[in-house]
Amino acid sequence: MDESVRVGVFICDCGSNIAGFLNVPEVVEYARGLKGVAFADEGKWSCSVDYLARLKEAIKQHQLNRVVIASCTPRTHEPLFKQSVKEAGLNPYLLEFVSIREQVSWVHMGQPEIATQKAKDLVKMGVAKAILLEEGEEVRLPVKTDCMIIGGGIAGMTAALHIADQGFRAVLVEKDVQLGGLLNRICRVAHHHQTIPASEIARTKAALVTSHPNIKVYTNTEIETVQGYIGNYKVTIRSKEDNRRETLDISTIVVATGMREIEPVGQYGYGEDPRVITQLQLEEILIGMSKNPEPRAPCLSGRQARSELKIKDVVMINCVNSKNQSRGCCNLGCPISVKNALALKEINREIRIHILYRDLSMVKEEHFDLDQAKSEGIKFVRFPDDRYPVVTRANGNLSVHVHDILLGRELEIKSDLLVLTTAFQGDDTVEKIKGLLKVSANSDGFFQEAHVKLGPVDFPSAGIALCGCAKSPKNLKESSEEGTAAAMRVSIPMKRGYVEAEGIVADIDPTECTRCGLCYKNCPFSAIQLGDDQQPSVIKALCKGCGLCAADCPKECITIVHYSDDQLLAQVEAALEEKPGEKILGFVCHWCALGGVDMAGVSRLQYPPNGRLIRVMCSARVPVKLIERAFELGAAGVLVVGCEFPTCHYITGNYACENRMERAKKKLTKRGFDPTRLWVAWCSAADGPKFAALMREMVKQLGLS
Amino acid sequence: MTESILIIGGGIAGINCALNASKYGIQVYLVDDTPSIGGMMARLDKTFPTNDCSICIEAPLMYEVNHQPNVEILTNTEVRRVKKGNGLFKVRLVKRARFVDEEKCTGCRACVDACPVSLPDQMDGKIGGMRKLISIAFPQAVPNAVYINPDCRFGKLRQKGACVGGCVVDCSQCRECPIALCVAACKKEGKDAVRLWQSNKNIDIEVKSIVVATGIQDAPVPSALYGYGLYDNVITNTQFERLMNAGGPTAGQIIRPSDQKHAHRIAWVQCAGRGLANGLPYCSKVCCMIATKQTIITKEHDASVETTIFYNDLKAYGKGFWGFYQKAIEKGVRYVKARPYDVFEDPITKDLTIRYEDLMTGELKKEEVELLVLSTGLIPSDRNQSLAKVLNLELDHLGFFKEKDPLFAPLETNVEGIYLCGGATGPIDISESVVQASAASMKAVLTKEVS
Repeated sequence: MDESVRVGVFICDCGSNIAGFLNVPEVVEYARGLKGVAFADEGKWSCSVDYLARLKEAIKQHQLNRVVIASCTPRTHEPLFKQSVKEAGLNPYLLEFVSIREQVSWVHMGQPEIATQKAKDLVKMGVAKAILLEEGEEVRLPVKTDCMIIGGGIAGMTAALHIADQGFRAVLVEKDVQLGGLLNRICRVAHHHQTIPASEIARTKAALVTSHPNIKVYTNTEIETVQGYIGNYKVTIRSKEDNRRETLDISTIVVATGMREIEPVGQYGYGEDPRVITQLQLEEILIGMSKNPEPRAPCLSGRQARSELKIKDVVMINCVNSKNQSRGCCNLGCPISVKNALALKEINREIRIHILYRDLSMVKEEHFDLDQAKSEGIKFVRFPDDRYPVVTRANGNLSVHVHDILLGRELEIKSDLLVLTTAFQGDDTVEKIKGLLKVSANSDGFFQEAHVKLGPVDFPSAGIALCGCAKSPKNLKESSEEGTAAAMRVSIPMKRGYVEAEGIVADIDPTECTRCGLCYKNCPFSAIQLGDDQQPSVIKALCKGCGLCAADCPKECITIVHYSDDQLLAQVEAALEEKPGEKILGFVCHWCALGGVDMAGVSRLQYPPNGRLIRVMCSARVPVKLIERAFELGAAGVLVVGCEFPTCHYITGNYACENRMERAKKKLTKRGFDPTRLWVAWCSAADGPKFAALMREMVKQLGLS
Repeated sequence: MTESILIIGGGIAGINCALNASKYGIQVYLVDDTPSIGGMMARLDKTFPTNDCSICIEAPLMYEVNHQPNVEILTNTEVRRVKKGNGLFKVRLVKRARFVDEEKCTGCRACVDACPVSLPDQMDGKIGGMRKLISIAFPQAVPNAVYINPDCRFGKLRQKGACVGGCVVDCSQCRECPIALCVAACKKEGKDAVRLWQSNKNIDIEVKSIVVATGIQDAPVPSALYGYGLYDNVITNTQFERLMNAGGPTAGQIIRPSDQKHAHRIAWVQCAGRGLANGLPYCSKVCCMIATKQTIITKEHDASVETTIFYNDLKAYGKGFWGFYQKAIEKGVRYVKARPYDVFEDPITKDLTIRYEDLMTGELKKEEVELLVLSTGLIPSDRNQSLAKVLNLELDHLGFFKEKDPLFAPLETNVEGIYLCGGATGPIDISESVVQASAASMKAVLTKEVS
C-alpha cells in the first residue's frame, strides 16, 4: 500500500436513524484500526452545514487524501459530500460513499450487534476501495457552432431557424430540388378547426430559411460521407445537379429526413385502376381543384372532376397496411381522412363520402371535426379488425363490399374514387444515413431515439438529434415542436462550447490491447474510435462510464476510473475476509437496483443481514472474474442486480449483463463451483419489497438462515 | 445580471425544461405549488409502451435538476402577480408555509413516526392509503423534506386527535411549541426543523420569459357512474395505478377495497362517462395505453388474473404502442368492443356484474368481475383558471391554455414571452411532454429582453 495514503472515515448517526440501531462509536473505533485510516469521526448529522465545515477542517488538519462517508445513500447525498470534499481542496473522486442507513440500520432494526458487524464490514470495504482511488477529472471536448440539418421539411426548417436565431451557423441539406418536404404534396393543414393551405406554410417557412443570414441551404444535394464525432464532424456533400462535392466542418447534426407513404401496390386494385389512389394522391387532386389550372395528379384531372361532377361517390378505406402483425397505427390516417373528406365536401356538397374505419383515432379537438363531418353527411362505417373491405370491378364500376359492425350487416358501396389511407415508412435515404451516423432504425425505416420516454429527440451518440417524421409519423404541429426541441438539444453543447463527461470514464491500455475491436463494437454511445491501425481509443467526453467494455475485454486492458477491477476486487476481498460462508456478495447498479435497496430501507422492510453490496454504475460492469474470485474466497452466494428490463441508464447494459451471467454460470460449473449460487435479478428503483424478498429467498435457498 | 426564466410546474415537462435551460446557461426558477417536484409521473408505477419503471427514470432527473447550480427550486409556491415592464416580467411568488425549515430538515421521518393522526390520502384514500399530518410527499421527494397539513395548526383536526389541536394560542404567536409531538421528535433527533409559526413568504423575481408547465389532471367520475362511490370495488385507473405500484399504499399488491383480497377477475371500462352530462366530450388519447399497461403489469404480477378491457376506439397512436397492445393480447388480455350500460353489485360478495352490448354481435351480455377500473380521461388542471388570469393568458373552450397559432408558432401564447408545454396544452403522454418541454425551453431562452 502506498504509505502516503491517509483515509478519513466519517460515520453519521443520522440522529437516531443510524445510531439508534447500531453501535456507531464501536464502528468508528473499528475504522480507526483499519489499515490506511488516519482519522475517524462520528457526526450527529453529517450533512448539516456545521458538520460539513468540521469535515473540511478535518481533511486539512489531518492531511487526509481519501475520504469515506458512511451514512445514508449516495443516490441522494453523494453530490453534497463531493462538493464539500472539493471545497476542502481534495479531488472529489477520492471520496467513497458507504450506505449504512438504507442498507443497515433501517433494515436490521432489532439486531444491533449484527447491524454493527455489517456496518463494520461495509466501512472496511469502503476503506479498501478508497485506498486505491485515483483522482478523476471532468473531461471536456470543445464544440463549435456549426450545425447540419439533414432534411428541409417543416421539422428541419424549424430546427434550422431556431439554431440560426442564436447566431449559430445552420447548414440545411435537402435532397429534393425545393424545401418543404411533404408540405409540397398536401393541399391544406387542419388544426383546431382552422385550415391553412400547406403551400402557404411551406412558402413562408422556406422564405424565412433562405433569407436568414446564418442559414446556408443546399437543395438537390445528398450526403456522401460523415466522419468524426460531436464538435468534430467532417461531412462531404454532393450536388445531384452537377456532382460538385464539398466538405464541411460540422459540430452537431439534426436528422429530419421525414417519411413517405407505403404504396399499396396490388391491393384493392391500386396500380391497376386509376380510380384507386392514396390519400397523398387525393391531396394532389385537391391542390389541383383548389387553384392550379394544370392538373398535377397523374390519374385524374381535378378540373375535370369539378366541372363535370365526375366524382359522385368517394370511399376511403383506413388502416391500409396499418395495425397488422408488422405495423402499428399510422397516427395520422383518421384525421387525414376526415380532413380530406371535408375538403371534398367543400368543393361539392353533392359528393357522397364513406369512410371505412376500424377505430377512429380522433383526439381532443379533432373529435369536434368528426362531429362536423357527420353533420355534413359523411358516412362512417366501422369494419371488423379481421375482415377488411373487398373491392370488385365489374362492367367498369368500382364497388366496395364491407361488413358494417354497427349495423351488423354487409354493405355494397358504389365508388368512382377509392382512397386508401395507407401506412408510412421512413425516407429511402434512411439506410444510408443510419450507416453514416452509426445510429439505428426500425424495420419501417424510422430512426430509433435514445429513450422512448425521456430522450425522444436524442440519439445515444451525443451531438446528433432527431425530429419529425423521421422518428415516427407526425402532424405538422408535432413536427414543428420536435424541430424546435431538436434545435435545443444540439444548441446546449454549442452554446456551452464543449461537452463534458464525468470523471467515471474508460481508459484503454494500448500496450496490452490486441485490437480485437470488441469494445468499439459494443459501446452503446459510440465513444470508442478506431485509429488507422485499428487501435481503439476512448473519446473520453463521450464516455458515460458504464463499464460494459471493461467487463468484456478479453485482455482486461480497459480501466474504468472509480470502478477499476482492482478497486472492485479490494471490496470483494474485504467483504469476504471474515466468515465468507455466511455472506452473500452483491453487485447492484446505481440507477435502479440500488434505488430498490434504498426503497426497502426507507420502507423499513426487514430482511436477513447476509448481504454485502458493492455499487457499480451498471450491471454490465460486473466481470466474470470477480464472481469467480468471490467463490474462490468462499462466498455463500453472489448476487448481481440490474435495472428491470427494458429500463437501463446505459441503453442496453442489463441485456449485456444477462448474457454475460449465462457465460459466468457455465464457467463456474467448469471450475467446480455450484452455478445455482450465482443469482441474477432485475429490480426497479421503486421495488423495495422485491429486493427484500430476494434477500430472504436467497438466504433460504442457500441454507443460511 | 444573468438572464432568468420562470418555469411554472415541476412535473416531467417542467423538470425537463429546467434542465435544458440551465445547461444552456440560463438562471431558472422552477416553481411548483405542491411540496415536491415530480408531478404526475412520480405517482405512476410503469410507463407505456416499454414498461419502464416511472420513478426509476424520473428520480435521477429530479436529483439532477436539484443539483444544477443555476436552478432554484421553489416548492409549495404559487405565482401571485405578474407585471411586464422594461422587457421583463416582474413576478411576485408566494411560498406557502410548509411549517418546516427545508434547509434543516433531513427527511429522517422521526416526526412522521411521532405524529398521532393519519388521514386518508387524497390520492390513495379509496385503496387504503393514509397520510400523517406531517409527512413526506413520496420517498424520492425533492426537496427531501417533510411538510405539515396546514389544518393541523388551527384546531381544525382537534376531533381527529391532533396533538396541537387543544392549544388556544395561535401558532403564529409562538416561537416554541411544548405540545407538538413532531417538534419534540425533531428535537430529540438533535434537529430543530419544525416551524409551526412559519408564515407565507413573498418572493419577487424578474425574468425574461415564462414557461407554463402546470400539467393536467384526472377527470372526476360522473356521479355514481357504474356504481363509483356506491360500490367499494369500483375504482379509477389512477387508483389502480397506485395499487400496482410497489411504492404505493399496498406495496404493489392488487387487492380490492372491500375485503383486502387479491382480485382475480378485473375489468376496465374505457371512455367512462364520455359524452355524458358530466363526462368528457373528447378523447384523452392516453387511456387506452394506460389500461393496456395496467393489464400487462397485472398479468406479470399473476398470470392467472383474468383481465378484460371494454373499449370503443382503440387509441394506439404512438411508436411501439401497437406492439404493446399485441403483447397484451399475447398475455391473454381480453379486449371487448363495448360500452357497458350498467353495473350491479352483489351485496354479499361485493363482486360486480357488468351489463353490456357486444358491438361485434349486437348481443346483450353480462360479465362478473371482482374489481372494476374506470378510465375517465384527463381534464385541464384546476390551476388553469386562476393562473390564466394572473398571466393574462387565454384558455380554449375546454379550459386548456390556448396557443396563439398552433400551426405557425406552436407553444406560443397571446402574451409574448410566455410559452406552454406538457399537459397545460391538452391530453399528452410523457414523451410528447418532454418534446414540448425541450421546444419551450428553446423558445424561452431565445426570448429577447425588449423594452
